[in-house]
Amino acid sequence: MIMNTKTIRLSAIALSVAALAACSGPQVRYGDAKAVETVNANYGSTDLQMIAEAMTRSLLQSKAISGSKDAPIVTLADVKNKTSEYIDTRVITDKIRTQLMKSGQVRFAVSVSEMQNQTDELKRQNQSGLYKNSTIAKTGNMQGAQYRIEGSIASIVKNTKDVKDVYYVFNLNLINNESGLLEWADEKEIRKTATR
Amino acid sequence: MKKILFACTSLSLVFLAGCATKPPAPVVESAIVGQAPADPPKNPVMSAEALKADSKSIAVTDIYFKKEGKNLTFIEETRTTTDNSISSVITPKTIEIDADKANASAITGGANSSAFPVKFTNLADPKATSPGAAIPPVPAVNVATPSNSSSSANTQSMKKSGYQSNNEYGELRYLANPIRGLLIKSGYKVVQAKSTPAMPNQGDEYFDIVKRIKAGDFGDADYVLYGVLAEISSTDNVADIPGTKSTSQQVTLEVTVDFNIVDTKTTQIIASFVASGEGKDVQIDGRDTGHKPSTAKLMKLASLDLAEDVRKNLADQNFITNNPGSAGQVRNLKRRLDDDASTLKVYK
Repeated sequence: MIMNTKTIRLSAIALSVAALAACSGPQVRYGDAKAVETVNANYGSTDLQMIAEAMTRSLLQSKAISGSKDAPIVTLADVKNKTSEYIDTRVITDKIRTQLMKSGQVRFAVSVSEMQNQTDELKRQNQSGLYKNSTIAKTGNMQGAQYRIEGSIASIVKNTKDVKDVYYVFNLNLINNESGLLEWADEKEIRKTATR
Repeated sequence: MKKILFACTSLSLVFLAGCATKPPAPVVESAIVGQAPADPPKNPVMSAEALKADSKSIAVTDIYFKKEGKNLTFIEETRTTTDNSISSVITPKTIEIDADKANASAITGGANSSAFPVKFTNLADPKATSPGAAIPPVPAVNVATPSNSSSSANTQSMKKSGYQSNNEYGELRYLANPIRGLLIKSGYKVVQAKSTPAMPNQGDEYFDIVKRIKAGDFGDADYVLYGVLAEISSTDNVADIPGTKSTSQQVTLEVTVDFNIVDTKTTQIIASFVASGEGKDVQIDGRDTGHKPSTAKLMKLASLDLAEDVRKNLADQNFITNNPGSAGQVRNLKRRLDDDASTLKVYK
């Protein structure tokens, strides 16, 4: 009887230790990056993906891109965040850029935000005197972009006690740098409603 | 029945044979209206050697220039007259300035007249300096009578100021070589032309190409392509590079040349254009590091760029084609050389 009681106690302690050990570490699991995210009504990954996909598809069908003999050179300009949230608009344009690049119908020149690295590299190669002349990427040969992509994201948010309604509109423009003409424009609207 | 069949077969055979030997109907040559038919190439398969053998020579001279300058001249003459003799001391002083500055000065009552407050006269103009002229020299007379001398002496001081035009004529020797190379590549034979030294007191007749053609300066050339330097300028600018903390220093040398092609037989101007070339040195943060650009490099780049612009203009006016070495270019060139029997000399 004593033996049985001891065994039960030991088993209980062992189980408790095991349970505690299991609870103390983080629980990690991979999810589907493309799965619909509905944690709350704020701007999220699904919005990013929807916007990028819609804009890329529309842009590739535009006359400026599909009607061009050679893949036109485009650069990314600002996408203004006019919402009350913090949204890294650069992520949106980068995602659009990646998808456009994969299509092979567009080439991209470095954008303003990437110019520091570009000038640093040119300066290093041209002005340090360390490089073989025939291999140097020479200053003054960068290619200018024919078009620039710029746009904005805005939102209208309405709250009641139980409902939060968010309306996003993402606007993107393709502008001919030489003529200043707007060659293409499209928008993507998203409505999200959260209830308690 | 057999006979009839045989006869029919024979007749058919004769008829068919007659058709077979019938000469084809004459084809009326299509007339081309409103368009001169291009001559077929006389030698469609033409090697570079053959082209060279057929091509005419092009003599290339250097680019003429005229540099206008004006010498501001001050002459101070002190004349001392005594009883027996007159002595004179003349002190000239000459300052060379740009023609533009002189023209903007008080000579013309220009906007910069405060920088050159003296009213200058053209000393080379006898009317301007003659007695009674509109702008006479300014005399300043000091009469000094030494108190301790029995003899009297007059000291007269005269000041003259004015300008003398100073035009320099010559040839720039380093801009034409890329154009020579371009013409060689296009199939012309290029011959070095005789240089034209400027004479003392040279005037604008230096640019009189017809006079030089008649004087035989260009040998047996059928065409003369010559250029006169219109402007040469250099700039040094610094600009911010957006999105960076850096600046770019751009030193640019730009040349603009007026070109004319003259038919030496008729002295008719066949083509005329203005070409320009730019040599640029771009240095990131160059101003901060005190970068000094190489003038030789800039000149080389400008001359190459000038040759490229000349090529475009010559192609526009059918002296060469846009694609040297192409079949079309070879054919056009061959036709032109055959039809025009031309020698193109390029004088700049």
